[in-house]
Amino acid sequence: MNNKLDKMKRALRRSNTRLLLTAVMAFQALTQALIAFQDRAVNPQALILAVALPLVTMLVTNLMGRLWPVDRAILIMVLFLCSLGIITLQDIARADVTPRTQAIYAGAGLVAMFTGATFIRAFRSWKKLLPLMMGLCLIALLTPWTPGIGIYKYGARNWVGLGGFSVQPSEFMKPVMILCLAAGFANRPRFLKCLPAIGFAAACCAVLLSEKDLGAVLLYFLTTVFMYYAATSNAFITLSGLGMGGAAAVIAYRFLPYVRDRVAIWRNPWSDYDGAGYQLVQSLIAIGSGGLFGMGVGLGSPRKIPLYHSDFIFASITEEFGLILAIGLLAVYVMIILRGLIVAFNARTSFHSLAAFGLVIMLGLQTMLIVGGNTKLLPLTGVTLPLVCYGGSSLISTFFSMGILLGISSMNALDEARDIEQLELRED
Amino acid sequence: MRLIGWLVVALFVGLSAWFAWTAFTQGAIWASDVHNTRLAAANALRGDILDRDGHVLATTDSDGTRRYLESDAARRALSQTVGDTRGMSGTGVESFYSASLLDISGSLLDRMSELFSGVRHVGSSVRLTIDGPLQAYVAGQFPSGYSGAACVTNWRTGEILAMVSLPNYDPYDVMEGREERVPDTAYLNRCLQGLYTPGSIFKIVTLASALSNDPAVVDQPFTCAGVWDYEGGHINCAGNTAHGTVDLETAFKRSCNVTFGKLAYQLGAQRLRETAERLGFNENFKFGDFVVYNSAFPGRISGTSGLVWAGIGQGEVLVTPLHMTLITGAVANGGVMMKPWLVKGVTTALGAPSATGVSTPYRQVLDEAVAGTIAAYMRETVKSGTAKRAAIKGLSVCGKTGSAEVSDDKSVETNAWFTGFIDDPAHPYAISVVIEGGGAGARLPSELAARALKKAVEYVG
Repeated sequence: MNNKLDKMKRALRRSNTRLLLTAVMAFQALTQALIAFQDRAVNPQALILAVALPLVTMLVTNLMGRLWPVDRAILIMVLFLCSLGIITLQDIARADVTPRTQAIYAGAGLVAMFTGATFIRAFRSWKKLLPLMMGLCLIALLTPWTPGIGIYKYGARNWVGLGGFSVQPSEFMKPVMILCLAAGFANRPRFLKCLPAIGFAAACCAVLLSEKDLGAVLLYFLTTVFMYYAATSNAFITLSGLGMGGAAAVIAYRFLPYVRDRVAIWRNPWSDYDGAGYQLVQSLIAIGSGGLFGMGVGLGSPRKIPLYHSDFIFASITEEFGLILAIGLLAVYVMIILRGLIVAFNARTSFHSLAAFGLVIMLGLQTMLIVGGNTKLLPLTGVTLPLVCYGGSSLISTFFSMGILLGISSMNALDEARDIEQLELRED
Repeated sequence: MRLIGWLVVALFVGLSAWFAWTAFTQGAIWASDVHNTRLAAANALRGDILDRDGHVLATTDSDGTRRYLESDAARRALSQTVGDTRGMSGTGVESFYSASLLDISGSLLDRMSELFSGVRHVGSSVRLTIDGPLQAYVAGQFPSGYSGAACVTNWRTGEILAMVSLPNYDPYDVMEGREERVPDTAYLNRCLQGLYTPGSIFKIVTLASALSNDPAVVDQPFTCAGVWDYEGGHINCAGNTAHGTVDLETAFKRSCNVTFGKLAYQLGAQRLRETAERLGFNENFKFGDFVVYNSAFPGRISGTSGLVWAGIGQGEVLVTPLHMTLITGAVANGGVMMKPWLVKGVTTALGAPSATGVSTPYRQVLDEAVAGTIAAYMRETVKSGTAKRAAIKGLSVCGKTGSAEVSDDKSVETNAWFTGFIDDPAHPYAISVVIEGGGAGARLPSELAARALKKAVEYVG
């Protein structure tokens, strides 16, 4: 019997991701090599990364794949996105320290990913821990208000300074919040029973609103609404929730000059290209300059876009690598989402299913918000392009989320293996 | 869960499609924006700018200096249309088409060979629909000392033949740092960016609205005593001339303000606005070859006064000379407005055409019968009305004059307007002329229009 289980596990591991892995490794090595040999003097850091990135990708894929039967396609795509971020930064930042920092964050992220997977596989008492988690999450979100360590940056009070480091609690609390909601909504089709979780989400949004972190408010809100619908299929309450959100947006537009400015810039950035519209105009110009195939690695000048390495990294990527790769990048996100949804569909408990669903949906919404913001489809909100954009908090937190997703996928695979085995036993 | 999942995936696909579409279609426009500092640094020689007959309007010497026309007057006449290398006239082809002129989004193959050979790459050349000599001629004929604009198009194809805007400037002054010699507002292309009060030429729109809503209006008698006291104000005809009892045609050709004020009152703001918007007022035109400012018809009209004055093109009504030419052109073209275009073709340095302009209808803005009636009225206006001076021997010219008040107390001379066309498919030219402070539309602009149209027949065919 044990023998068969082992065989099953091995079969699952052999799912055909080798081609994908090879392609990703080749991409990493080639682009970094291109950057390394671009100037007359060889760039040693790019050269090291040209070797290190593919090696780490292979190592992590095999290590994690051997530990648990995780969905390797998701894993490889996650690693690809992260490496694309490092490559872009090495390419455009013109200083070795930015990509180096990002690589260090990525290392911490990998640890977080393993932690996430281990955690979700071991985490069984979510019902008991729910109130505690909710409390912790709210307190963490409130920390930027603590005098002394709270930091006001880019028009929002959403940073905390801790001995030289500055972290963004709203980023770190994303997976925690989703776990809380999944636990709060699981197996509770009645609206009243869901109220504590909804109240919790509303409190989170209120705290974030007080910190003027509009992008996070939008993300938390939409994720809550979608998760509620997924959990209960109650269209009426979901739609009224969306309606209330819409009303709140109108009120915000009316009374917050900050919001009105954003919308005005979005509607016509060219009218004020020297002032408020500058970022968006430069972003569009960069996208336009890239054309179909891009200016080429190291040949464009995306540094002309303000925040080229964080909020506008998508525009930078489009300029350097072109429209085709940018669309491909979106396709990678879609594939992660699709595979993530399969994980959610296959999960054995309502909690795991909802958690996987929430993580994937938040990833998708976040990508959409920032890409839409970069390309003038939506007003710009300061959220990060998941896994690609420069910044430790977001990267580590997203890796942790993806770890949870992968953990759930491995649990699904094991459960499936057990099912098949039992079927065979019965047939024997 | 499945539903939401698919929703998110669908949104993603939509986002990608939208992104790809806009970046693909508008990318070149974004990239060629004046504020794209990459362009200045681009290691390429700008391609030529040619007029419709292949006359070189701008070229680059082998050492990289940009050369414009030899003749001082012609160079100035084309200044805002062609633009300058510093992008001071932002609507100019030098700025708006710099991505093509420099070929920064050229093919991958070209760029690679350039990279390896180290040869400086020559950009594409852009051929315009503009007739250089015609534009120079019209600018030269413009009454001296006046500012204003004149815009000539082909109403059958939508090609722009001339865009004259005064004052103009010498691109060499800009390039060589003598900006103090550039007159104020000379960078502005008034054909595209000049928002003027239309005055009586707007009666074409009021007439179109009346004819569309009630064809029987042509037989309705109107009485004009020179002044009409409506509740809350009064409107008068030029020089308080009493036109007596007139039908609509006579009122139009004599430009009777009282009749058209009454007509607007009879129509109501709603219907007048509908017609104006169908003709392109308040519309954000996206023609692709250039940027044109939005003409405006007030969204909320206050009281009788506002309505009556809107009916004769005063108050908050604003129009660009190009848009006025489009409207007139639509009248000539059986009610179909043609999409205006400026670029006949883009050709790479190797001689391969990479883009070709085509004539496309923009929209049916008027019923054919309505357009026919307006054209007949405009023909009468030239034959025996206010626009007699626009007549050309041997050609059937239709037109309308206007004298737009730009101050409340008549302390400033009116802006003089003429808009009209040659009613002959063999010579399908439309024109709008505005002369700032030029007095009555019957004089200076009508004369200029006649000369310009005659020359257009001679030069373009």
